Amino acid sequence: MKKYSDLEYLRLSKWNKFTYRFLSFFASIPTAIWNGIKSIGLWFKKAGLAIAGEAKDIVQTFIEGDWKTKLSYLVMGFGNIARGQVLRGLLFLLFEVVFIGYMILAGIYWMSMLPSLGVVGPHREYNELLDTYVTVYGDNSFKILLYGVLTMFFIVAFIYTWRLNVKQNKIAEGILKSGKKLKSGKDDLRSLVDDQFHKTLLALPLTGILIFTVMPLVFMILVAFTNYDGTHDGFSNNLFTWVGLENFNTMLHWTGGGSTNYSATFGEVLSWTLMWAFFATFTNYFLGMAVAMMINKKGIRLKKVWRTILVMTIAIPQYISLLYVSKMFAKNGIINGLLLDWGWISKALPFWEDPTWARCTVIGINIWIGIPYLMLIATGILMNIPADLYESAKIDGASGWQQYSKITLPYMLFVTGPYLLTSFTSNINNFNVIFLLTGGAPINTSASGAAGSVGYTDLLITWLFKITTGAESKYYLASVIGILVFVIMAIITLVVYGVLPSIKNEEDFQ
Amino acid sequence: METKSMKQHMGIRAANTISNTIIHVLLIIISVIWLIPFVCIVLQSLRVESTWQVGYIIPQKWGLDNYRNLLNTNFPKWYLNTLITALVTAALQTIIVLCMSYTLSRFRFKLRKPLMKFMLILGLFPGMLTMIILYRVLKDLGLTQANAVPGLILVYIASSGMGYYVSKGFFDTIPKSLDEAARIDGATRAQVLVKIILPLAGSIVIYTLLTAFMGPWGDYVFASYISFGNSSGMNVAVGMYNWLTPDQINNNYTMFCAGGVVVAIPVVILFMCLQKYYVEGVTGGAVKG
Amino acid sequence: MASVKLTNVKKIYDNNVVAVHDFNLDIKDKEFVVFVGPSGCGKSTTLRMVAGLEEISEGTVEIDGQVVNDLQPKDRNIAMVFQNYALYPHMTVYDNIAFSLRLQKLPEDVIYSKVTNAAEILGITDYLMRKPRALSGGQRQRVAIGRAMVRDSKVFLMDEPLSNLDAKLRNQMRAEIILLRQKLNTTFIYVTHDQTEAMTLGDRIVIMKDGFIQQVGTPAEVFETPTNLFVAEFIGAPKMNIVHTQLVKENGKYFVTPCGAKIEVTGEKGELLAEKNIAAGEVLLGVRPEHMLLAFEPKADAMAARLEVNEMMGSELHLHVYTEDGARWIVRVPTIDLTAEQRKSLVNGAQLYITFEGKVMHFFDPKTEKNLLY
Repeated sequence: MKKYSDLEYLRLSKWNKFTYRFLSFFASIPTAIWNGIKSIGLWFKKAGLAIAGEAKDIVQTFIEGDWKTKLSYLVMGFGNIARGQVLRGLLFLLFEVVFIGYMILAGIYWMSMLPSLGVVGPHREYNELLDTYVTVYGDNSFKILLYGVLTMFFIVAFIYTWRLNVKQNKIAEGILKSGKKLKSGKDDLRSLVDDQFHKTLLALPLTGILIFTVMPLVFMILVAFTNYDGTHDGFSNNLFTWVGLENFNTMLHWTGGGSTNYSATFGEVLSWTLMWAFFATFTNYFLGMAVAMMINKKGIRLKKVWRTILVMTIAIPQYISLLYVSKMFAKNGIINGLLLDWGWISKALPFWEDPTWARCTVIGINIWIGIPYLMLIATGILMNIPADLYESAKIDGASGWQQYSKITLPYMLFVTGPYLLTSFTSNINNFNVIFLLTGGAPINTSASGAAGSVGYTDLLITWLFKITTGAESKYYLASVIGILVFVIMAIITLVVYGVLPSIKNEEDFQ
Repeated sequence: METKSMKQHMGIRAANTISNTIIHVLLIIISVIWLIPFVCIVLQSLRVESTWQVGYIIPQKWGLDNYRNLLNTNFPKWYLNTLITALVTAALQTIIVLCMSYTLSRFRFKLRKPLMKFMLILGLFPGMLTMIILYRVLKDLGLTQANAVPGLILVYIASSGMGYYVSKGFFDTIPKSLDEAARIDGATRAQVLVKIILPLAGSIVIYTLLTAFMGPWGDYVFASYISFGNSSGMNVAVGMYNWLTPDQINNNYTMFCAGGVVVAIPVVILFMCLQKYYVEGVTGGAVKG
Repeated sequence: MASVKLTNVKKIYDNNVVAVHDFNLDIKDKEFVVFVGPSGCGKSTTLRMVAGLEEISEGTVEIDGQVVNDLQPKDRNIAMVFQNYALYPHMTVYDNIAFSLRLQKLPEDVIYSKVTNAAEILGITDYLMRKPRALSGGQRQRVAIGRAMVRDSKVFLMDEPLSNLDAKLRNQMRAEIILLRQKLNTTFIYVTHDQTEAMTLGDRIVIMKDGFIQQVGTPAEVFETPTNLFVAEFIGAPKMNIVHTQLVKENGKYFVTPCGAKIEVTGEKGELLAEKNIAAGEVLLGVRPEHMLLAFEPKADAMAARLEVNEMMGSELHLHVYTEDGARWIVRVPTIDLTAEQRKSLVNGAQLYITFEGKVMHFFDPKTEKNLLY
């Protein structure tokens, strides 16, 4: 594609300008993705270099350090204690003792079982005491995987702490050499509410995220490479084990073989998910803006009343409003009832029965749900647009529509760019609206051979939910879908951040 | 051409009146559309002649039977579960979110940027995925089904540190020189937070409390996972969802409406009182991204 | 009351931008030092490193002989006034001023006497119960100063304290800061981008650009003997006229030849040129506008010039003129030196003749822009 300089671009006709920008947007997508991949590569390179640097420093510290430092390589915290920093030293030592104790008592076992995920499954065994065959439970794949992950985190934490211990020795040695005093335990404690206060503040939130998000995610990502499901729960019926990339093959089907093939269903659900996210985001966005502008127009009365009515609907829990509205649109619901009564239709409208009807209704009701939020957001932003922009536009001779399209809309799009992105991605995962309205119905019979029943309004996320709660509980499939959702979201985020300059230079309009 | 001459003829004021009238009519229509479902819920909850769905709005026979019937179900238990969960979650989640957002707004430590990027990446995974394992672990700890409330609270608050964006945006608007002045005046970082920032952060604290309360109050997914079909561990959302399954809807439809009214009223009142703070938070959050 | 010593102080930001290069300065006890320079020159960063708000990348900062690099701001015993005042919005004026004293856990009656005492000096006693929101810019400024005053700190730091005020108030507050300084009798470091403030307030001025110190000296020193072109142009308003010209040496005497004129360098400057044995050749010639001489008739050693802009400042006129070689000059003439007729003739395009005396010239190397004499 030919690249124009600024001056050349300015001489293009309006239509050419538009096509040029349109084409250059799409032309830049591959570069954006490539840059993203490259930055990941660079990150790895940087991380590798950093680790190499650390290793070098560890060796160097050992060579140059005194005997206290050298002994600390074996007995963590020794250097600290020997130099008077008893509190730090004891904490290091305690951590080492706990770690070694854990590894001997449990850690080594779990790690050794991790490659196989268990050998002996549940089986029946003769019990002499009861004189009968009883079920004996063997290994527990679930626990092996869980504690295996846990142990890995623990090992990483230990390595990090050990490194910290080495580093502290080096620093302490340096400080003592230069004739200064070391921080005492009291100083350490005091700094936790002062210059190290961020550590105190972050301790709780980050522990929560680590235990309840990071570790479960690592676990679930690993599950995608096993056959963990309802019939292989790893303990009471069958053990589960590693299967490599087979589950991804089942879902995406790149080899063309295999017994089951969900690629068609996946494609269908994915395309509807993206379609849904697109419509749900932009219908809400523009209609919400329109409502906000109507309410904010000069000369409109009862502004507060209109706003309050809309805002009130936010307060009502979605499961009540959505479940109720979904019943209103049912075959025997109020809407059909009234329309039949009034004689406008002769036969109930198939709001939830026909795929196309259902998809449109879902998007329509989502507008009903979403407009109040967007109205609030748009109102806030509209009020922030400097009035002198409009004044100067009026003096320049802009009509009402021109003021909207040349000032209001660009300003809004600019300011809400990042919001649009998050809104799009959260719509991809908009479980509530779909699940409570349709539960995925109507059922897609041609795809129902796939795990659980899949409907025409099912998003990837509701499909995932159905798979995990369905009869077969194919957790490994759910996990594969989760990973694919992540990949899709990552690509979208990367492209948007890489291609749209407006998101990067947020200061332009301020 | 025609509109232009018309405009000139009538003057700007008349044209304005017409467009304002049209907008007023539109706003009335919008208000009706937005309110009708809620009016319907209230009316249906007062209908006593039948318990199933009907094709008309105004009840033929009025009464409070549906509300009375609520007391004979597990509804009070669910309601209590939800209330406890929501209150505890609101309090703890607010503390966590404030810790996180204040730190990320004010401290410049080495891992700050990587941490924020990492949480952005974490956020791209569907949160529901982790429920599969969390459910089994919580089950082993005995925090599911009948004991769902503590388990649920744990699930809600555990990762709430990731929802720091809105309040970080707010803290970013408080001038940093206030912190600096206080630190020069002799305050420790902790004293800066308690004596300077928190007194100024009233509106964002209320916003965070409100959203943290409304999350569990209206949540279905996580609650349904953790209670796993055990009625005494359900929250209102899960319990009432089951009333609308095809085999139950004909008996419980009007009761669902009554339950909905009972659930909605406190939050609506709360929300109306705190509307100002909510609006501030939502708009601030969207602009900051 | 303390000395402040900065040794090889450097500030490097995370993105490897160097904000301050190798800053060395010895501030004596009770001295008033002003850091001045255009925005982004590193003056505020340096001040914030002294305050402890910015980490010191390299070098040491000593207050009263103690290295404070690793001390928190609260432990450095300093007071600071911020550009935007940084008053705590939720506290009254009284509480704002008392905040630091309360953190020191002083008894309330001591706090009371200290705060009211400071309020009296600053004339804000009537506003003690107000919130900062209800104060005017000047009043806020006083509160901010009051907050810093009550701490009896060793060093008083001020970061562009007057730049948010309007011109009139700024002049007034400037005078008050001079009075305050006499009362407090402590060490001051003052940051500003305004050379007038620097000249009027400072015992010594530190002129900075792009993170480098350009010159340190008393106001008279930096005005009379600027070490380089930047300082020469930065100090003084309107700024110094600078033209390219040839320095000619004839019979041991030096001449400059701007636009056809030939003016002998006399006085101290001429002696210095000879002493340093400066070679003839191209130089940058600097003459301050107030040293320019105006004539209405042709004159020996005067350049013909045309008037472009005539700025009437009241007591003086700033005449922007250009000579035939295209060089632009500003000539500052006291209004009182001109007759009514002469003033009337100063219209755009008027033919004028400008020159200057031999002893007022500054010479800079055209390449290094360093002063050739100092």
